[in-house]
Amino acid sequence: MSEGSKRLLSTLMVLGAQSAEKALPIEEFAMKLGIGVSELQPDLDRLAEAGYVATTRRGGSASVYLTGTGVITASSAYS
Amino acid sequence: MLSWEYPPRIIGGLARHVEGLSSALASSGNEVHVITLDFPGAPYEEREGSLYIHRVPVSVPAPTFHSWVLLFNHFFEKRAGQLAHEFGAPDILHIHDWLTVPAGVASKHLLRTPLVMTFHSTEASRSLNSQSTESAMVEGLEWWGSFEAARVIAVSGWMRAEVLGRFKLPEEKVEQIPNAVEPLKFEGPVDAKAARTRWKVAEGQKMITAVGRLTSQKGFDDLIRAYPAIRRAVPESRLVIIGDGHMRAELETIAEQEHVREDTTFAGFISDGELVAALRSSDVVVVPSRFEPFGIIALEGMAARVPLVVSRVGGLAEIVEDSVDGIEVEPNNPSAIAAATIKILSDKEFASRLAARGEEKAKSYSWENVAKKTLGVYQDAARVTRFE
Repeated sequence: MSEGSKRLLSTLMVLGAQSAEKALPIEEFAMKLGIGVSELQPDLDRLAEAGYVATTRRGGSASVYLTGTGVITASSAYS
Repeated sequence: MLSWEYPPRIIGGLARHVEGLSSALASSGNEVHVITLDFPGAPYEEREGSLYIHRVPVSVPAPTFHSWVLLFNHFFEKRAGQLAHEFGAPDILHIHDWLTVPAGVASKHLLRTPLVMTFHSTEASRSLNSQSTESAMVEGLEWWGSFEAARVIAVSGWMRAEVLGRFKLPEEKVEQIPNAVEPLKFEGPVDAKAARTRWKVAEGQKMITAVGRLTSQKGFDDLIRAYPAIRRAVPESRLVIIGDGHMRAELETIAEQEHVREDTTFAGFISDGELVAALRSSDVVVVPSRFEPFGIIALEGMAARVPLVVSRVGGLAEIVEDSVDGIEVEPNNPSAIAAATIKILSDKEFASRLAARGEEKAKSYSWENVAKKTLGVYQDAARVTRFE
């Protein structure tokens, strides 16, 4: 996993986005990371394909959250 | 008991330790409350007899992992206060590793309760003596916890020596209490054929299994580099790597470079039941770690009656007796891993002997014994704790 992907997982965890109810709008996530949505989206797609994140729609916005596997993977560097 | 991980949030051996210990303490008549982090799909509150699990959400966002740890400690402390109000102040507070030191130390003083700390690992050994500012903070918290705790528990002799030396603690303050396994988990029928099919192990193939977080510490890259030599000697074999982590893509690339990607299964995280089935269906379990404070997977392999190849490091070297109940190899040495694995896969009688001795040894590592020893430490901690 690239450093960038690790950062995405870790950031979602510390922001508390680990359920569909607490999902973070992708646009807001990109702003917090200081990058554009078009730059973020391919990484999120790869992480979703690997089962680390899932997406949902909240208030009309595409939002992202960590799955259980994503939580464990985000934590695994620190245990 | 305060722990950042508890099943189903299983990051490493710490979750299994807290689960096994808290269950055994509750089974022997103690009321145990575990405060831990919430996890997708797991209930916030759970109770089984006198064991209570309290999963705490972290309601405030943090900018970094380390500030998030400090934040979740605040929420742990709040929950400890609520529980003290509801159930009365606890007799003992027990924290695990640096991650719960702030909540443990604060609760100790607020509730005037003796504190015990278990070391499952240290930052210096885990990070290979990193000099980063984050590591400085973690090491500081480790020292702070070991200083504030009335008694300290280390999960292996190696860990005890590390803690004594690093934090300059008096000998009598640090007790060695190992991890354990639940033997019943490994008994009963297992559909080996179904398990092997699931991991793409064909009929007649030998199943070589490795389990753990996919991080550099675990040495799975060495095992993959050893696998071509193993395949030359034992062509009918398949490597099954169970677990996930940051190194997954890198390990898959190494498997491709070594031309064994097609013969390797990356199983990802699996359930406890699936792990038992996988271990019991294996022909050998390899633990190629570069550093391992304890190595609970070695005990689980023994309990599953599977012969082991382990690195001669840390707690692993204390669990396994070379050529008696497993084979020890030097870490960072794919050739040695290959030779030991080939020996086990090609000498059935030797492999059976190792497995039988290992199974016998695993029985001595029971959670009941761990709970008894831990209760002794709790009594000792209560005896020596004085609040001004």
